[in-house]
Amino acid sequence: MAGSHEMRRVSDCVWEIPKTRGMRVPGRVYADDRLMRHIAKEKAVDQVANVAHLQGIVGASLAMPDIHWGYGFPIGGVAATDPAKGGVISPGGVGYDINCGVRVVASKLTHGDVRDRIPALVKQLYRDVPCGLGSHGAIGKLGRKDLDDLMVEGAAWAVKKGFGTDADLDHTEEGGRLRMADPSKVGKRAIQRGLDQVGTLGSGNHFLEIDVIDEIYDDYTASAFGLEKGGVAFQIHSGSRGFGYQICDDYLEVMQKAVRKYAIELPDRQLACAPVESPEGKRYLAAMACAANYAWANRQVMMALTKRAVAKVLKSSESALGLRLLYDVCHNIAKLETHTREGREVTLCVHRKGATRAFPAGHADVPDAYRAVGQPVLVPGDMGTCSYVCVGTGAAMRETFGSTCHGAGRVMSRAKAKRAAAGRNLEQEMSERGVFVMAEGKRTLAEEMPEAYKDVTEVVDVMERAGIAKRVVRLRPLGVVKG
Amino acid sequence: MAGRARHMAERPEYTEIEHTADVGMELTARDERSAFEKAAACMFDLVCDLDTVGDTWREMVRVEARADDLQNMMVRWLSELLYLFETERVLMSSFDIVGMDEGVIRAHVAGEAFDPGRHAVKAELKAPTYHDLRIEEDGAVWSVRVIFDT
Repeated sequence: MAGSHEMRRVSDCVWEIPKTRGMRVPGRVYADDRLMRHIAKEKAVDQVANVAHLQGIVGASLAMPDIHWGYGFPIGGVAATDPAKGGVISPGGVGYDINCGVRVVASKLTHGDVRDRIPALVKQLYRDVPCGLGSHGAIGKLGRKDLDDLMVEGAAWAVKKGFGTDADLDHTEEGGRLRMADPSKVGKRAIQRGLDQVGTLGSGNHFLEIDVIDEIYDDYTASAFGLEKGGVAFQIHSGSRGFGYQICDDYLEVMQKAVRKYAIELPDRQLACAPVESPEGKRYLAAMACAANYAWANRQVMMALTKRAVAKVLKSSESALGLRLLYDVCHNIAKLETHTREGREVTLCVHRKGATRAFPAGHADVPDAYRAVGQPVLVPGDMGTCSYVCVGTGAAMRETFGSTCHGAGRVMSRAKAKRAAAGRNLEQEMSERGVFVMAEGKRTLAEEMPEAYKDVTEVVDVMERAGIAKRVVRLRPLGVVKG
Repeated sequence: MAGRARHMAERPEYTEIEHTADVGMELTARDERSAFEKAAACMFDLVCDLDTVGDTWREMVRVEARADDLQNMMVRWLSELLYLFETERVLMSSFDIVGMDEGVIRAHVAGEAFDPGRHAVKAELKAPTYHDLRIEEDGAVWSVRVIFDT
C-alpha cells in the first residue's frame, strides 16, 4: 500500500517529492516525522505525484498535513494551474461534495449558561436540522425558479428568504456567492436532487457541534474575532448534498471526453480535466459555482435553524444570545484567484480538495472586520477531541497559494474503524469524555470515532511551525449531532 | 424470468476495501452480466443490509454508456442506481440485466421504499469513482473493484 515515490526532507516540516516520470512540478508535503509515518503508509504520496502531471500546474503539487488517500487528488491536496498556459481544471480536484465547508457561529453564551442544557440542545438540533442519508425537507421543496435564484445568489438567497442577515454574508468566504454561476450549465438530474435538500446536514463526516472555547493562543487576534475563553460556539460542517455530487458526476463524464479531445495524458482517470479556458472547463466552472452557491445557502439555512433551536431551548432570543457568524470557509473548491508569481500578479485556478483558504492580514478578500489580523481559518477535529480557529498568514500566500489544512485527516479506514468499534458503546465513551452525541447512523459513529483520525493538534502544529496558519483559539466539543 | 432466477441464486458477497477516506468493494462473478448485477447488489449492501430490503418496488432501468469502455459502463450503471435511490427513495435488492448492447444496459430492478425506521443505514455513498476501478475478465472469472466517495 505504501507509495512508490522517494521523499526528501527540505525543512523542519516540508518534504519534497522530486520531479520524475511525467511530473511537471515537484510535490511538496507538509508534515512532521510522526505524520509522515502515517502518510507514507498509504497511496496519498503517489496521488500528490499524480496531481503534479496536470497540464499548466505551477509551483508544486501540495499536500497539507491532514493529507490522506482520496480518489484522484489526495484529500488535503492543493494545486494551482495557470489558465494562460493551458492550465486545466479537474472536478476530481474539487470532489463530489463541492464546497463542503465549515462555519462557526459565536455567541455571548458561556459554558456555565449551557452546562446543564447540552442534551436538550443536541436533541432540539437533531430534530430541527434534518440529518442522515438522503435527508430532506428542512424548508419545504423548492420550485425550479427558486432553485435557479439560489444557484446564482448563494447565501444571499437564504438571507432573502429570512434565514439570517446581510451581515452573515460579509463573514462568508466570497460573500457566500461565486459570481460565475450559470444555472443553464446544470443538468436536470442535479436539479432533481437539489430541490428538497437545502438546509440538511447529510451523512458521513458532516456534523453540527456545540463547543466551548477552552484555550486562547493569540489574545489580540481572538479579540478581533470576538472570541473569549469559556465562550460557547457552534460549528456546522456540510456541503452541497446530492446537488453537488450530481454536478461532479455529470462533469466527470464531460471531462472524460475532453481528455480524449485535448489528448491529455493522466495517470488516474479520476483526474479527468480540461483547460480552464476551454468550453468544457468554462462550463464546469459555471456549474461548480452553482453547487458552491448551493452549499453556502445550505449552511446559511442550517445556521438559521440552529440559532432558532438554541433560542428555543434556552428560552431567549437570538440577539440576546449574541449568536453571530464568525466565518464560513469552503474546503472543496476550485477558484480563480490572483496570486503573485515571480514578482507578477497572475490569475490562477486554485484547487483545494480538503484544504482551507488562509488569506493574511491586509488581503482585500478578508472582510473589513478581520482585515487587520487575517482571515479566520476553521479547522474541525474529530468529535471527541477539539477543533481550532486559526488565522491566515503571508507565508501561506507565498508558499501554498493561501491554503492550509482542513481538519484532522483520517488515519484508519472506515472498515477498520468499524471493526475497532465492534462491541463498544461509543455514545457512552463520548459521554465519559464530556461529549453528548446523537447520530442518525451507528456506523457513522463508528467510522467517525476519535481514533479513526490523526491528532488535529499535531496537524495544526505543523502548519504553525511552517508559518502557514497560526492558532488563535481551541474549541472543545460539548455536544454533537452526526448525520 | 431465467435472468431473475439466475440472479436470485447470487448473494451480495464481496470484500470491503481498506480505503482510508472512502468505501470500496471487491467481488468476482462468472460473467459480464453477473458482474454488473452483483456489483449493484453489493453496492446497496454497503448502504444497507440487503437481507432487510424487500422487492415490492419494480422498475425498468436504462443506462447509456460508451460501448467500448467497460469502466464507463460500470460507473454509469452504479451512478444511475444511486441517483434513483436518492430521488425515488428506494433501496434496491434485485437486479436482472436483460440487455447489454452498444453501451446500453437495460435491467429489471426491484427493491422497496427506504424506511429509516426499519432500514439501518451503514454508509452514504456519494458516487462510484474511477480511482483504482477494475473490471477484468480472467478466464471464467470476472473481477470487479469499485471505490465510492462517501
